Amino acid sequence: MIKLSPNLKDKVVNKAVNSLRKNKSIDQLSFAAIAKELDVGIDELTTFYNTTEDIFLDAQKKDWESLHRYWDKQIKKAKTPGDFKRAFEIFFERFVETLSKDADLRFELSCYLPECIKYRDKNRIKVKEKFSKLIKRGWPGKDMKVIQRQSELVTVLFYGFIDHIVHIPKEERSKILSDFRNMLNLHLQDRKFF
Amino acid sequence: MKVEVQKKVRIIQKAMNSIRKMDKTVHTISFSRLADEMEMPLNELTDIFLDVEDMFLNEQKRVTRKITELVEEGLKDCHTPNDAKELLERSTLKLIELLPDYSDLVYSAVFYLPKCIAERDRTKKYYRQSLKKIIKKGWPGKIESVLDRQTDLVLLSLYGYMEYLVRANLRERKEIQKDFINMINLHLQDRLFF
Repeated sequence: MIKLSPNLKDKVVNKAVNSLRKNKSIDQLSFAAIAKELDVGIDELTTFYNTTEDIFLDAQKKDWESLHRYWDKQIKKAKTPGDFKRAFEIFFERFVETLSKDADLRFELSCYLPECIKYRDKNRIKVKEKFSKLIKRGWPGKDMKVIQRQSELVTVLFYGFIDHIVHIPKEERSKILSDFRNMLNLHLQDRKFF
Repeated sequence: MKVEVQKKVRIIQKAMNSIRKMDKTVHTISFSRLADEMEMPLNELTDIFLDVEDMFLNEQKRVTRKITELVEEGLKDCHTPNDAKELLERSTLKLIELLPDYSDLVYSAVFYLPKCIAERDRTKKYYRQSLKKIIKKGWPGKIESVLDRQTDLVLLSLYGYMEYLVRANLRERKEIQKDFINMINLHLQDRLFF
């Protein structure tokens, strides 16, 4: 089986995104055009991707898997509540830092393409579980019900944050990131939660 | 409800059920195919909507229109900070009531269909403007820069809240609404904002 090199896969994603940005239509994306532009055979692409939509699903998975790997390392290292709080904060920093220049389009497709939505839903559960673990260890003394409700709420806010941040210029992102983290901190300091 | 409106509601409901069953990306569904799936004459559909995009746009606008009515009326009657706080709470409750069980389909379509994207952008600007007015009235004494930053945070939180609602059942919606509005209240009580 032919395997696309990571470098070539990035190029495929960039070409697909550029094409989508120009034509505004997934219908007009074709393996033939991408292969021609990258000077590779169509079979190299079709061995790896079944449909052009797979290109976006694959990119979405790659971004999230990388983010989770980084996050897991921070969680594994954490020992004290302060460390867990830091791991919680680092996640948002890393998320913003690693957003691609086409984050807006990639986000929109992750909300639109059926397979990307399925992945997004699965990933959301994973993210919520990690928030739950970090809230439990970083802000100790909460009962399980409070942890569940606060994890759900933080996840809800985080998904709103994603939608917002991908649609604003890069230079404005750090300001809102800082405000967003402060808002979450204030919320999580509430041990009994209303 | 007028007969015409009832018919429209019935057709939208039926169309959404069919779209869900078809498990297809929305832009690939033709009106004639949809009519077949719905087992109804094509002209019954085309009498009401121009195409699939028009149907989604219509549904998207319906929700915005209802929220806009509530907010505009509410702002007129806002005399005290409590009135404004109640208006914000009522709006989040109204969303629960307004979003039908097929709103996840509408939510995803608005990230791709061009007219829906334009409407989404327009609505977001309107929500920001209205939220700023509500926050200013409900939590007075904030300086302009704080008001702007908090408005952005509440706005992004609101989009996360809506994203959650479209996938949640009624019980989950009600639960999150209480926590959501409490969290927003806690955040907005901070007059100087960090």
